[in-house]
Amino acid sequence: MRYTKKILIITFLLCFAIFIISPFLIIVVTSFAKGWFGKQWLPQEWTFDWYHWAFQVANVGAILKNSLIIAALAIGMSLFIGLSTAWAIARRPIPGKEILYSIILLPRMIPPITYALGISNIFYRLNLIDTHLGVALAHVTLCLPFGILILSSTFEGLDQRLIEAAEVCGASRWRTFFHVILPLVMPGILAAIIFTFTTSYNEFTLTIMTYGPHTVTLPVKTYLVIGDGYWEVASAISSILLIPSLIVLIVILRSLKPEKIVGGFKGI
Amino acid sequence: MIELIKITKRYGSIIANDEVCLKVDKGELLTLLGPSGCGKTTTLRCITGHCPPDYGEIFIEGKNVTTLPPNKRKVGMVFQNFALFPHMTVFENIYFPLKIRGMNTKEAADRVYETLNLVQLSGYESHYPRQLSGGQQQRVGLARALVYQPKILLLDEPLSNLDAKFREEMRFEIKELQRRLGITAIYVTHDQEEALALSDKIAIMKEGRIHQVGTPEEIFEKPKTIFVATFIGLSNIIEGAVSAIDPVTLDIGSNLKLTLLYRKEIKIGEKLRVLIRPNDVEFLTDEGEEKHNIFEGTIARVTYLGNKMDYLVDLPSRLVIRVQTDLTSRHNPGDKVKVHLPVNKCKILS
Repeated sequence: MRYTKKILIITFLLCFAIFIISPFLIIVVTSFAKGWFGKQWLPQEWTFDWYHWAFQVANVGAILKNSLIIAALAIGMSLFIGLSTAWAIARRPIPGKEILYSIILLPRMIPPITYALGISNIFYRLNLIDTHLGVALAHVTLCLPFGILILSSTFEGLDQRLIEAAEVCGASRWRTFFHVILPLVMPGILAAIIFTFTTSYNEFTLTIMTYGPHTVTLPVKTYLVIGDGYWEVASAISSILLIPSLIVLIVILRSLKPEKIVGGFKGI
Repeated sequence: MIELIKITKRYGSIIANDEVCLKVDKGELLTLLGPSGCGKTTTLRCITGHCPPDYGEIFIEGKNVTTLPPNKRKVGMVFQNFALFPHMTVFENIYFPLKIRGMNTKEAADRVYETLNLVQLSGYESHYPRQLSGGQQQRVGLARALVYQPKILLLDEPLSNLDAKFREEMRFEIKELQRRLGITAIYVTHDQEEALALSDKIAIMKEGRIHQVGTPEEIFEKPKTIFVATFIGLSNIIEGAVSAIDPVTLDIGSNLKLTLLYRKEIKIGEKLRVLIRPNDVEFLTDEGEEKHNIFEGTIARVTYLGNKMDYLVDLPSRLVIRVQTDLTSRHNPGDKVKVHLPVNKCKILS
């Protein structure tokens, strides 16, 4: 009886894992496959041709660079706005905080395509279309809400008494900031950065409304290549797209241990 | 030495501190005692500089520090929740104030080890605060507050997060350390037992005002107000009007007369409140020599407290007297008894 239960559970979990992993697996296999049709289990021939195509014909190198520049700009702007906003929300007595929160979260509550239209309209007039800054700015509307949510809860968890303790010990505002506040909120800031990176790096809808020849990103390129009918090349690009995401995932698992996210011992 | 002159602090319409005046002499330990929300923590925060007073002035060692920022005040503080830096080891926590002061590394390290030794935590320097017990964490807090040899030590309910058993032990340790270092200290607590055991002086606070400042004996034996009397120790408060002067007699209703020690300024007709502690009240078994203040009553409630008995006695005129005796006299609920309120133990409150 006990074994049957165990076997059932393991079977179920295995099915679930296959369900999650198989799309990625198919993409990766496709990117190395030549002549993989119909009901065949495995491709007839393996090849690196599609990667060669991706870099030579689809110019993935330049596109990866675009994606990373845009993500970096989005992170910079999100942090600049997010840090100050989150600090104010978390640690200052502001009337109507809930209303402020819902306004900030609004971009995540409606389909991006609806306000992407508005954004592209304005960006055309401001000549921001097909600039790295413009695309990154569009991404910020999506990155910022959750970024502020992560940062403000980090700042709320920061114990005011630790700051006071540092000051009583003789630390000036700057030294308190560098020696006490910053190390304690760093995991939260890191989480916000990672979140912003993945959002910007994978964003499609807002990019397609604001990109141009100079600002093609990986997701957009994948879409275009599929449109051209090169399924295998699109798979190769997608596989390349996966690599930075995997790196980020490993960083998350390594550095974001739950006990590190707590900003000090709040009210024991 | 530390002196507060008419410190007033308002939060909106709430007055947290109302003209608080305090003076703590060098090497003295003063306790701010009062119920929660009475403004004791606000007073402490005024001294650290985290909550600048609306009016009033603060002097530390004769220097006016009222407008100085917290980091320039040279006070040490121990927090209720310990407030240790969780990302630093014990060593780094204690080293922090010295690092801020740019002290020579070798000398600073020696000082840290010395202080660790003082609070009996040698060998724990590479632990993180979360790996320590509450008592050990508070020792680190104490060490961090003492390591830079401040003139003033402030303690904000430092023991209230510790286990009861440990609390008493730690209490004496703090007192011993304070005496040995000769440091001026202000200790905030709501625990009267702690205050009586630790303090050179106690200041009783209520609703932002200081009701009485005095030695533990003075506070316990000569409380000036009803609040002080009821807050420190158990108390019976008896009200009445003066009906005769020689001897001073108080009419407390239902023809009961309470005789008091003679005092000059008392006038006939004056309303007085009298305090008598439950352990000063006696039961009379036989009628020996004639005594004043003997009343007949009925035992209403009996509580066994292990080392003593606690009784509530109903007197006529709806007066209820609480009596605590040793275990030798035992009574049961409903028993008729005679209670004796010794004249010299009845204290007139203002």
